[in-house]
Amino acid sequence: MHGLESTGKVIISVVDNLHDTLIFSGKVVRRLLHPAAYNRATRNVLVNQIYFTSVQILPVFLALSVVFASLLVGIVFQSLKTLGLAEYFGHVLMGLIVTELSPLLTVLLITLRSSSAINAEIAVMKSNRELTALEMFRIDLVDYLVVPRIINGMLSMVLLSSLFSIVLMASGLLLSALIFDMSVDVYTNILLNSTSFSAIFIALVKCAVYGFFVTLIPIRFGLRATRELTSIPITVSRGMVNVFAAILIIEVLSLLTRLF
Amino acid sequence: MPISREFKVGLFVACTAAIIAVSLAALAMGKGLFETVHTFTLSSKSGDGFTEGMPVVFSGFNIGVVHGLELSDEGLVLIRIRIPHRHVKWIRSGSSFVLYRPLIGAARIVVNTDNLSSPALSENVIPEVTVVNDINDAIARIEPMLDRLTKIADNVERLTRTLADPRGDLHKTLGHAEKITSNLAGKKSVLEMAVSDEESIHAVHEALRKLDDIMARLDGLLAKTDAQLYNPEGALPQVNAILKDVLQKLQKLDKTIDNINRISADTSEGMKDFRILRSDIDDAVAAIDNLVQKLDGVVGSKKMPELKTP
Repeated sequence: MHGLESTGKVIISVVDNLHDTLIFSGKVVRRLLHPAAYNRATRNVLVNQIYFTSVQILPVFLALSVVFASLLVGIVFQSLKTLGLAEYFGHVLMGLIVTELSPLLTVLLITLRSSSAINAEIAVMKSNRELTALEMFRIDLVDYLVVPRIINGMLSMVLLSSLFSIVLMASGLLLSALIFDMSVDVYTNILLNSTSFSAIFIALVKCAVYGFFVTLIPIRFGLRATRELTSIPITVSRGMVNVFAAILIIEVLSLLTRLF
Repeated sequence: MPISREFKVGLFVACTAAIIAVSLAALAMGKGLFETVHTFTLSSKSGDGFTEGMPVVFSGFNIGVVHGLELSDEGLVLIRIRIPHRHVKWIRSGSSFVLYRPLIGAARIVVNTDNLSSPALSENVIPEVTVVNDINDAIARIEPMLDRLTKIADNVERLTRTLADPRGDLHKTLGHAEKITSNLAGKKSVLEMAVSDEESIHAVHEALRKLDDIMARLDGLLAKTDAQLYNPEGALPQVNAILKDVLQKLQKLDKTIDNINRISADTSEGMKDFRILRSDIDDAVAAIDNLVQKLDGVVGSKKMPELKTP
């Protein structure tokens, strides 16, 4: 009985949490589509957010991309060669690495770098009553705090993931020449034949959805912080766990989209 | 001049967006999105293995896709393929189209063009697609193996049935072996078991006994022969003595022969001297003969033959 009760509580908690997240998402999306949300203050915050999330980490991100891309492509190409499936390397490169692993690795990097920071920032603002002060000045919290961060998350995810994919394909060009002794023309032809616009569109949409949730969930959990400073690490921890759960759910949903 | 944060962000967004836009444009151009597309129609008796979006391949390169499939009024499957303008040069009137269904991997339509200088294929002509099926080929190769395996299984089954049969060969063999072992247990010897006749056994024993006697006599005979041959007064010592005597005599004879040879050589030398003497005498006689002839000539030509001697 006790076990069933506990399970029921967990399920209700998860469903409530999901419901709250979706309600909050709807509210944010409505504000995103509202032109009044894009005032000067919002634009300034957006520029700062893009700077901290994308521009500041760009050199490190590119270096990591080169390392990850070379490792991934090298291992996959070598495995394909060993298995005698070299002719499918185009499909593997585009279908698996570029459209699946590239967004996943990018979102993991952004989550580790920015989501935790956003979660902690909002939680600290809540504890210090900065949010109350903003409300007293009749500043819309969603417009000022949430909208620029969400836009930054979506834009940064799409741009950085695309950069990662381009680095991947460049690594693929180099490694295909080394491993398969393949010319640039043959490599380009294989990539063109293996690429479909629908897959690229799905990958870009997935990146945007990733960007939306890896910033929305930390903000929502940051807003749950209390006046006590000890609540900050708790909200950050819960927020990050939920972010990773959201990443998994989005990945599964994108795979289901491909199946149908 | 310090670069502002806004400029950095703007530069990043603009550059990255430009790279993405250029990549997408290159992809669109590479895939022939802005290119004229030619549509050809192929036919097949069956639609098995054909799917929309299936690649059309020439020399291992994708040159087009299957755009649509439909059934004609004659019951033939019509396959519409789309070929971009830059690849249409590979589709000639002499081209053959093969549906290749590999054992592993996706099916594709393979275009084979032997003569690239032949006229271009008209879009109104409907060539037929032949089918190459690796899966069926594999099944066809496996079928004989399965037949053999079935035969082997039948044989094994027959073997086990025979082994299990109480009237089978194995049981007969075992029965015989049992009889042999029981016979061996009841008889005194292997000979008795082999001939199974008392008289024959006695005859064999008698023959063996006689053979023993013969061998004893033969031994005695050999002993006597040894004594006669190898005793001090036996045949072999005497033969040895005779041979030694003959050897000594032969040595003496050798010396005599040497003397005869020497005399013969001397005689031969003497004969040479005789030949020289003979030739001298012959010369003297010839000279006298000449002289006589000359005298005859002198005396015969004169009326008063007178000879003045020196």
